Amino acid sequence: MTEDKKINSRRNFLKRGAIVLGGSMVASYLGCNPMRRFVAQTAEGMDLPADISSFNPDFWFQILPDNLVLLKSPKVEMGQGIFTGYAMMAAEELNVSMEQMRVEHANTASGIEDALGTGGSNSTLSLFKPIREMAATLREILKLGAAAIWKVPVTQITTQNGVLQSGAQKMTFAECVAATKKWTIPETPALKPASEFKYIGKDVKRIDLKTKVMGTAQYTIDSHFPNMAYATMLPCPYFKATLKTVNTAAAEKSPDVLKVVQKDGWVAVVAKTQYAALSAAQKLEATWDVPQMLQQAELEAMVTVGKGTEVNVQKVGNAKSVLENGSGKVYKQAFRTPFGTHAPMEVNGTVAHVTKDIAIIVLGTQQPSITKSLVAKALGINKKMVDIQIPFLGGGFGRKGMMGNVVETAQLSQIMGRPIKMMFTREQEFQNSFYRPLTHHVLSAKIGENGDIQAITHDQATPDEVLKFVTGSTLPLKLLGADFISAGHGASLLYNIPNKSATVWGTEIPMPVGIWRGVGMYPNTFAVESFMNELAHETKKDALDFRMGLLTDVKDSIAQRTKKVLEVLKEKSGWTTAKPAGVGRGVSIANDRKSIAGSAVEVAIVEGKIKVLRVTQVLDVGMILNPEGIRSQMEGCVMMGISGALYEEVTVKDSQVSMSNFHEFPMATLADVPDIQTIILANAQEPYGVGEPPLAPIAPAIAGAILDLTGKMLRQLPLKI
Amino acid sequence: MKISFKINGQETTLDVDPQMPLLWAVRDELKLTATKYGCGKALCGACTLHVDGDMLRSCSIPIEYASGKNVTTLEGLPESHPVKQAWMELQVPQCGYCQPGFMMAAAHFLQIHPNPTDADIQTNITNICRCGTQSRILKAVKRAAELSKK
Repeated sequence: MTEDKKINSRRNFLKRGAIVLGGSMVASYLGCNPMRRFVAQTAEGMDLPADISSFNPDFWFQILPDNLVLLKSPKVEMGQGIFTGYAMMAAEELNVSMEQMRVEHANTASGIEDALGTGGSNSTLSLFKPIREMAATLREILKLGAAAIWKVPVTQITTQNGVLQSGAQKMTFAECVAATKKWTIPETPALKPASEFKYIGKDVKRIDLKTKVMGTAQYTIDSHFPNMAYATMLPCPYFKATLKTVNTAAAEKSPDVLKVVQKDGWVAVVAKTQYAALSAAQKLEATWDVPQMLQQAELEAMVTVGKGTEVNVQKVGNAKSVLENGSGKVYKQAFRTPFGTHAPMEVNGTVAHVTKDIAIIVLGTQQPSITKSLVAKALGINKKMVDIQIPFLGGGFGRKGMMGNVVETAQLSQIMGRPIKMMFTREQEFQNSFYRPLTHHVLSAKIGENGDIQAITHDQATPDEVLKFVTGSTLPLKLLGADFISAGHGASLLYNIPNKSATVWGTEIPMPVGIWRGVGMYPNTFAVESFMNELAHETKKDALDFRMGLLTDVKDSIAQRTKKVLEVLKEKSGWTTAKPAGVGRGVSIANDRKSIAGSAVEVAIVEGKIKVLRVTQVLDVGMILNPEGIRSQMEGCVMMGISGALYEEVTVKDSQVSMSNFHEFPMATLADVPDIQTIILANAQEPYGVGEPPLAPIAPAIAGAILDLTGKMLRQLPLKI
Repeated sequence: MKISFKINGQETTLDVDPQMPLLWAVRDELKLTATKYGCGKALCGACTLHVDGDMLRSCSIPIEYASGKNVTTLEGLPESHPVKQAWMELQVPQCGYCQPGFMMAAAHFLQIHPNPTDADIQTNITNICRCGTQSRILKAVKRAAELSKK
């Protein structure tokens, strides 16, 4: 069979259904309803409208001959533990053990294609019901198969640990698959009630734990093809610059260089080894046309409240009028957060193997579907001929939802006629990235004569994060006329204050910006919750009690769940105990897509530097899937939050990012680990996101603790005393 | 140039540029991919391995340095190694990318500090993790010290 025919027949084969049993596909359009629910849930969870018309059910489950169950995940594993969560959901309904579950990424040529990609702390919620429904259906299909073999009513068949049983008769799922030629498809069965859960809600070890400890886990740059060559690109040193001239003579003569390729304004060296490619790239002599030499101060001036497109995203009562009229005091402060970078430990990279029949792209990406379209377009081939194969992601944090060098690597493979591996250097990762945009916030409150908060306003300025790079999507992102995902996310004010408003000032800046873990929630929470700490301080109230006093609406479930988080924080963090000398305490909360996160911290100043001593993290996740996985994400958010609060800052000079490697971009290390206590609450019927929500409250809680300790408010990240 | 050395106990000979960083020789020539590229400047420790019992950041060491020596990567530590066992027990990894470097740093550190305090670990293990597994790494290093004595 030619390569072409193989691919075509595989496509047709896969279009027929969602579950593979014994090498044949079962259940035409099975999974259609669960998939529709998945898309709808995703849309709801992310406040996004979604287009489901192009949906096509593909391969999700397979029973392997050794009685293991393979689940193909449309969401990517980047450390957040989603493979483990999905395995738990499936094992729960299939009645198999966790040890029998295998999870792999769906590749785009034969698997489920998820147009929305992975992000937004939505992977658990969006597939919580669909995966269980498909697993339950698969279990019933197997029972019907066994009933036919044994000639007994299906009601007499039970399942446990991947074994079907009726009286004394037993057979494994795999044996049933091997013995069955024709399958009967049931209606989608009812799901197990929570009272019967065996795995959901219990501590389960990561399904990828062992491979990651033993060092066998594969990431993009670990993949290898026979006859593969290595490439490295000449990085563009300035934002928006174009290549004017390049002298490639010295690079071409460098040892082991195969070719210096120039295409579409970029230059890459292809060599026999990684070292040869990197060494030769140093010898390229280029000149650039730089449209403008941007400076940090200019960028900050561009991103300032009052400039750009004004969009009101929240209006309750009439805050403006209350602020301007009547008695009481107006309290007003401004906050700034800096440009941020993702700095995943795994740099971006691609391995491409393009032949006339298929373009295999090995890429750790949060956006396989968009990537497939871009590669097809760049190579001038049909999308069906592009197979994005996803290994583990060595950290994502949003960076791997945006483009790296996939298009150029695919083109190099096409030009060279052989597989190509091309990775970013760390310097390129720092300087040729998409950055979390800097933000500016102005908050005002009207404090009544008796210290009550009568009105509050939040004006936020941010460059466009999302709209610029999401291409080929059917999502109408420009709701409200604003970049609502980033700017609107966390801009609105949660507290039950009678007059409140939030306004976003959208702007564009001439440098690449994009989504960073927590998106708008990160800067907005810093500004809003820092301001709340200041208001408590100004009105001489306890920062925690002050917040609880503003969560009075009993019909507002978010407000009430938030109040509960604060109550638990107060009790468990030792908030009311005597403070040791030289210690400050601070608190902050964040309501992030229905998950409620709260942090109480203790800080001291040690040798002139802020030192975080203790962090108590409370997270109301709605419903608990895997406590162990949730704790892991919470601890990670504590450390990333400390890193952002105390150290991280990207600055710009002469249209270049000033940081080239880790020595110029300090991050939290083992020396920064505080005493961490994590508490998980469950106060709703669905599992909400855990990967981002616990991050946002850390920085404002630390700033609040500094205010408590020194009486001085630090209104700019990173916090410097 | 031909360079001979032992990798995880096995004799090997590579014909490569003697200035090629040990990292690329191990990853691309020997296909041992647990040792990761992180920064290329010996700043992050993702490429940490052992040469004749010394801990090195292999991105910044030329392959010729390994000539005639014993190179050990994470693949060369047995599954029963106290560091690997402690990492399993504490469920340290998230994305997992930096963990081989941390484990190799920990294995070397514990030979010098069999009874480490937090401060010992914090001062001596300076690798970088972005997912925020540092609190578990601290616990895992201490647990590995306990397991080493059993």
